[in-house]
Amino acid sequence: MKQSLFGRLGQKAKSWEFVLLLILILEFIIFGAKNPKFLLPNVLLGSVNDIISICIISLFVTFVMITGGIDIQVASIVGLTSIVVGVTWQDFGVNIWVACVIAIIAAALCGAISGFFVAYCGVQPMVVTLGGSFLYSGIALLISKLSATQSYKGISGFPEGFTQIASFKLFGVIPSQLLIFAGLTVIAYLLLHRSKYGRKVFLIGINPRAAEYSGLNSRLIILSTYVLSAISAAIAGIVLTSYLGTAKSDIGMTFTLPIITAVVLGGTLSTGGKGSVIGTALAALVIGILRFGLPLCFKINTQYLDIPVGLLLLIVITGRALSANPKVIKVMAGKFPRFSGLKS
Amino acid sequence: MTLLKKMGKVREISSLFFLIFLFGLVGLMNSDFLTPTSLFNCFNDSVVFTLLAVGIAFVILTGEIDVSIGATLGLSAAVSSTILRDGGSAVVAVLAAVLVGCLVGLFNGFGIAKLGIPSLIFTLGTNGLVRGLVYVYTGGAWVENLPAGFTRLANVKLVGELTTFYAMALLLVIAAHLILTKTRRGKYFITVGDNPAGATMVGIPTMQTKIMAYVLCGLFASVAGILYSSRIGFITPTAGNGYEMKAIAACVLGGVSLSGGLGSLIGASIGAVIMSSISRILVFLGFSSDYDNTITGILLIVIVVVDAVAQNRAAVKTRHARLASRSGPLEEESGNRRAAS
Repeated sequence: MKQSLFGRLGQKAKSWEFVLLLILILEFIIFGAKNPKFLLPNVLLGSVNDIISICIISLFVTFVMITGGIDIQVASIVGLTSIVVGVTWQDFGVNIWVACVIAIIAAALCGAISGFFVAYCGVQPMVVTLGGSFLYSGIALLISKLSATQSYKGISGFPEGFTQIASFKLFGVIPSQLLIFAGLTVIAYLLLHRSKYGRKVFLIGINPRAAEYSGLNSRLIILSTYVLSAISAAIAGIVLTSYLGTAKSDIGMTFTLPIITAVVLGGTLSTGGKGSVIGTALAALVIGILRFGLPLCFKINTQYLDIPVGLLLLIVITGRALSANPKVIKVMAGKFPRFSGLKS
Repeated sequence: MTLLKKMGKVREISSLFFLIFLFGLVGLMNSDFLTPTSLFNCFNDSVVFTLLAVGIAFVILTGEIDVSIGATLGLSAAVSSTILRDGGSAVVAVLAAVLVGCLVGLFNGFGIAKLGIPSLIFTLGTNGLVRGLVYVYTGGAWVENLPAGFTRLANVKLVGELTTFYAMALLLVIAAHLILTKTRRGKYFITVGDNPAGATMVGIPTMQTKIMAYVLCGLFASVAGILYSSRIGFITPTAGNGYEMKAIAACVLGGVSLSGGLGSLIGASIGAVIMSSISRILVFLGFSSDYDNTITGILLIVIVVVDAVAQNRAAVKTRHARLASRSGPLEEESGNRRAAS
């Protein structure tokens, strides 16, 4: 009994999620030891505002990447959502919640258009979503011109109910964004790992032809992954707008790289067929905590934060490439008999 | 008909025709656009994107991608202009910038070709790293007060309205194009992108070729960085941010296929001119340049979708033709019918 437990633990230790969890704990220990303030619940939970968008979106971009695609338009959809909420609420006088629904529908439509071109016209996902990122950020800018407010100022003065989305705290400590993130993680997990739909997504990534021949409507499923990622971007856009208190067309423009980094760091293969929601969620947290902890505890200028994140990505992927390399495995197996490559 | 078919095959010609069509159309609506000054400005202004697009075309032709060139441009621009600002010689500045570009390229090439890491992900990491280095190098401040002689270079005209910079870039592009299409080693690039496994089997050094492609890409990005600092006159730490996406878009507009092995450097440079002319064209048509991104996005999507649909159709057609020629006369008829439908 004890051995089987250890055996299972050993297996777990080789899984990528476990390594990510260790990195996350390590971050907490190092940052906490360096600056005890870091561990104060208010400080730590307050940091969630800056990273939550990336966490939310990367969950669903994982779906797209598992089918073998990529989505680099989500960042522009964040801005589009924000400005749609702002303009429909302020200038068209629509109820704020209806405005949110309109924004989500608009985002889903954007995702569906790109997904259609990828799935039904056979265009490379990278190119379509590159075009989409230009198109949707352009449309967002045009929509911002419809408003009476100057676009660089941003639309502000939202009703209290709307700003409550980001400022509400459960039991006075847990910010609502964390709850939203946790909820979406559970939904994404159930959808990807516990449902028929998820199995289909994986099958398309592993072998698209087999998926097609086994009678799956693979085109529709590929399209749906782009719709999902667009909707998640819309949710992130609404949360971010609520937190900032202003709607602007260009918020979120810098998110593309961190999102892809989180998905890849989470163990998703960019060639498709492999990946996990838990991995992505952990990786997004690792990046988020890193970006938050380094300036707080090591007084590193926020402008330099691209370096550690880039380095982390490079080290991890190089390490994983090496550990899958037969030569390295042979050498390592000679030194550590139990080493047999990192299985993620 | 055969001429049309040939045009479809030589992809850069169709993008050239598109460019002429676009300029002609704008000229019809506003004849001011067709003055030599305005036309040459379209080309002169595209010089940075031309170099970036041609550089990244090397990488794309081998079937990979590089999203770190924007940061590479920023770093080499910062390095060279700091040297110039502090009174260093021009030769040192250029060499330092080129060295930066080649090193970044070598780093990318090593990770992707030797370690076999997916290129998008590896260059994404490099992008973060190099962009961070720009901040470290400049201390987050702007590099300003470049020597007037250097910034004046950007406006020097060689003949008529043609700037020396664009003429130089054009020469570079033509030289690179000739190397790519006429020399043995140059042809390796397209071969590797077209059929990596086949290329390895016939003894082409796939790994070396890919590393070379990244080094060349970094080199072109660093030259673009020098021209950028001369044209703009100051360097912000975010200089070149997002340029990688525009360069990729330029390649796509110029008929370079992102799956590798298809396209040409001339096409990429034409795509860069289309790409950077859009905002100017909008002004001539009386629109605000706010439409810039929207038009670019629509153009990009329409072109790639049309291209993909046409290619798929051609592939289906050739398959049917092959099947028809293989089988007997009875099936041939049905094969033809299917191909026609």
